[in-house]
Amino acid sequence: METILKTTGLKKYYGKGETLVKALDGIDLEIERGKFTAIIGTSGSGKSTLLHMLGGLDIPSEGSVNVDGTELARLNSEQATIFRRKRIGFIFQNYNLVPVLNVWENIIFPITLDGRKPDQDFILQVIRLLGLEKKLDSLPNNLSGGQQQRVAIARALAGKPSIILADEPTGNLDTRTGDDVVGLLKMTGREFRQTIVMITHNPEIAQMADRIVQIENGRIAAQ
Amino acid sequence: MTEKKNQETFNPIKTITQRTFRKNRSRNLVAVLAILMTTLMFTTLFTLAQSMCKNLIEMTFRQTGYDAQASCKAITPEQAEMLAAHPDVKELGQSIVLGLAENRQLGGRQVEIRWADDSYAAHSFAAPTTGRMPQSAEEAAMDTITLDRLGIPHEVGQKVTLEWRKDISDPDAEPVQAEFTLCGFWEGNQSGYASMAWVSREYADAQTQGQLSTGTEDGILGLYMVQVSLYSDNNIEAAMDRILADTELDGLEYGVNLAYSPEMGATAIQETLPMYLGMALVFVAGYLIIYNIFQISVAADTQFYGKIKTLGATDRQIRKLIYGLANRLCMIGIPVGLILGWLLGAALVPAFTGIIESGGAVSVHPLIFTGSAAFAWLTVLLSCLRPARLAGKVSPVEALRMNDADTPRRRKTKRSHTGESLAGMAWENLGRNRKRTVTVICSLTLGLVLLSCFYAKNTAFDMEKYLAELTIADFELADATSGNYIGGYDPQGTTLGKDLVQELETMEGVETVGHQYSHQLVWQFDDQTTENLKGFYTDALLADWARYDPAGVDAFHHAVDTQEMNAVVFGLDGIPLDAVTQPQYVMEGSFHPEAFSGGDYILAVGPAIAEKDGHPVLPVPSVGSTVTLEGRSYTVMAIVFPLDPVDRGASEAGAPEAMEQHFILPTDTFRQNWPENTLRKLFFNVDDAHMDTVQNWLDAYTATVDTSLPVTSRQSMAQQYEAETRSTAVMGNTISVVIALVGVLNFVNSMVTAILSRRREFAMIQSVGMTRRQLCKMLVYEGLCYAAVTLVLSYLISALAVGVGIRGMVAGGFTTFRFTLLPLYICTPILLVFALLIPFVCFQNLESQSIVERLRMD
Repeated sequence: METILKTTGLKKYYGKGETLVKALDGIDLEIERGKFTAIIGTSGSGKSTLLHMLGGLDIPSEGSVNVDGTELARLNSEQATIFRRKRIGFIFQNYNLVPVLNVWENIIFPITLDGRKPDQDFILQVIRLLGLEKKLDSLPNNLSGGQQQRVAIARALAGKPSIILADEPTGNLDTRTGDDVVGLLKMTGREFRQTIVMITHNPEIAQMADRIVQIENGRIAAQ
Repeated sequence: MTEKKNQETFNPIKTITQRTFRKNRSRNLVAVLAILMTTLMFTTLFTLAQSMCKNLIEMTFRQTGYDAQASCKAITPEQAEMLAAHPDVKELGQSIVLGLAENRQLGGRQVEIRWADDSYAAHSFAAPTTGRMPQSAEEAAMDTITLDRLGIPHEVGQKVTLEWRKDISDPDAEPVQAEFTLCGFWEGNQSGYASMAWVSREYADAQTQGQLSTGTEDGILGLYMVQVSLYSDNNIEAAMDRILADTELDGLEYGVNLAYSPEMGATAIQETLPMYLGMALVFVAGYLIIYNIFQISVAADTQFYGKIKTLGATDRQIRKLIYGLANRLCMIGIPVGLILGWLLGAALVPAFTGIIESGGAVSVHPLIFTGSAAFAWLTVLLSCLRPARLAGKVSPVEALRMNDADTPRRRKTKRSHTGESLAGMAWENLGRNRKRTVTVICSLTLGLVLLSCFYAKNTAFDMEKYLAELTIADFELADATSGNYIGGYDPQGTTLGKDLVQELETMEGVETVGHQYSHQLVWQFDDQTTENLKGFYTDALLADWARYDPAGVDAFHHAVDTQEMNAVVFGLDGIPLDAVTQPQYVMEGSFHPEAFSGGDYILAVGPAIAEKDGHPVLPVPSVGSTVTLEGRSYTVMAIVFPLDPVDRGASEAGAPEAMEQHFILPTDTFRQNWPENTLRKLFFNVDDAHMDTVQNWLDAYTATVDTSLPVTSRQSMAQQYEAETRSTAVMGNTISVVIALVGVLNFVNSMVTAILSRRREFAMIQSVGMTRRQLCKMLVYEGLCYAAVTLVLSYLISALAVGVGIRGMVAGGFTTFRFTLLPLYICTPILLVFALLIPFVCFQNLESQSIVERLRMD
């Protein structure tokens, strides 16, 4: 299988001396195209920091991240932003929808920021799969948490990214909705052959993934 | 759902800009208000500056009497024709002078009897607005000032009689009495040096018998003059020289209109300098508030920017978003500010140009609007430069953690054993966003300090000091010819007749009186005086004098060589004598009233210099020396300062051109020597209760009996002063009030946003046990802290600025420095009330949401 994401000796340290915090302490991880990977770990294990590194949101203290052939460390902030909106889809715990944009606009937002034209047929297909077709003109505030997260999934998929990074997508949802959302995520991922990396602290949710990576104290404890 | 979404028009940044703008109405309101005020002040200042410039130039034109670029006096009609034919000459106006009208009623006002063509009349601001220029020998046209003086109604067809002499240098020349029919008139302007009375060419030719003079001969009868209008105002001298060379008239004398001189431009800039200074201040104040507003909104929206950044918005797109918001705010604030500012400027112009006769024209130059708009816009753009950069630099990860503090600061906190007090917490809260606190305090302090300075400067003016130099009595009446610098003073003038003087002196309420007589004679002076003159007028002083008055220097040399000059002897008693002999005006020697009244002593009037100014001698006869005037000798008792009301006035008619020395004798002695001379000036003081009655009586007298009587009253001088200085007072106060207002707006905005952005935090501390009362108290303490710091700074800086800066600025002149911080005393309670009220009102607003609601807030 083809490797789409690879980290080598990834480290992220905060502070120094006594107050040194090793958020990530040497992570070597390879993720294959089309796979649904769950990264689990307790609070403070470093899993969120890892996800930020994978998405180019944060800069590693040491080591490298390679996404689909691009070395993220080599990009400046502007290039990283552009890379992100072209190649990475994000799903956040708090959905991160733009409150002043309606559902449709939120979904196409990263594509239009990039100056691209949205692939309407493809996006409508995603929307139908996620059951959002009646909500396109609604503002995020008028949607339930589950619906908001489905919009976030649609947004992540809309740009046909190389990889989708999901940060505790079920964190703000009740168990049932959470299960539904992850189910949808997995289903759409398979449907559109998307690589998904999901962070969760919930082992049950993680069970739905193809592969589970466990992080403890900034290192991979098991996979 | 099959309908396809219309994505063609979806521009994410534009859409977000639009919707964010619509969402934050209250925040926008504050920003729009700030932009509006900034624009308003810029426009007002620009309007004032432009209008003042315009009025100043207009005024100089009126003072010089014409608006053509150049004039020639020594030119023949043939030469004028050649000039007029030159392509660079736009227009050439011609005039022939006959003489000066000498009707009694015109005393003190120069009225020139002339023929002129239409161009000359128009460029001399003397083209008839009603009727037309004279065409036949019986017709004349003149201004309303002349008509009013002559008591003739403003109606075409009225009969006007003008008296004049063909040879004005000969006082005994036979006067010409000519009756004309008024064929046209126009509004006269007081600031012009003279009025024109136009007659027809026919009449002029008859009087001059076709003999035109070119100004080289004596007399003015038949003096031919032209005014040359050019196409361009640039480098008039070079243009004139070129025209003269082209027409082979090299060497022809011409004068460039003073109003076009570079000095005039410099004066205009000087006059409008305070406006530009004001603009700089407005710029600072505007920057402080707009910057603060954007800083606050960026801080509040940091998470939002971080969010869209994670989704792929670039730095540039985020900056575009902020500039887009700023531009939208400008689109509302600037036009409204422009209109209001122009209206305010238009309302203030009359106050500013009060000194200018018929002035007060409000400029509507497009530069005002484009300039103000550009300045305001620039202020806004500069103000959001930093906030925009900050927003662009937001790191997506940081954004998720950021709250309303400028930078995450790891400070060692002191732990008090008694627990945190509310006031202490409030103080700490101010320190959480230092930049903002500093901005707000600066902006408030700036307004308050400026207000104190302007106020201190304005109150430093001492009206008594000012009036003391310009007037020495409540009323000063003079002979109509006393101020006639062209025709000369007539020592046997009849303006102040016995009846009038008696009536005034016995009028109820008149407390003290004083008289001035004057006589002029040729005086032979002694060697000592010659030495004194030579000692005072050093070469440097003479060179300086020669720059503006070469004739004066010639007269000086002539006087020194021949030991002969004109002496003007004043006979004084009462008010003027008491005034001029006050100790501060005695420059040398000392004054003994009893000895002086004996008639053997004389006072010499010294030069107008302060405290001898380092001169070793005064250019007058020494104290103790003998002065012989028309056969009678006097001993010089003292040298006195040339106090304006005593010393001011024209030389006697027919006196030879020479240097002048003024002397003072007691009235009695004067009357014995020159019994023919009539009263020149009458001074009298009136008690306060009768001030208005006397003023009204005089007003009626000058309106009906003698229009030529010059009256100077202390009241009118005070009013004149106020008119002259109102501009700076209004200006200064307007600017500082607006800046203070901007400061208050800044303060309100900062307090409100700081409280609103901390809603969740407050809910949190309330949820862990802080009571409503305590929270409210803490917020009020925060407001008070702001106010306290501002006030302490304002008092300190104002005290320094007023005590040192203003004290130095107002030194000398008609001022008495008084240390005052009155505006601060007035503002202190107001600021404190605001500091109490705003947090309280915000808190009430906050309370409308439950703790749980606020805790849940994103």
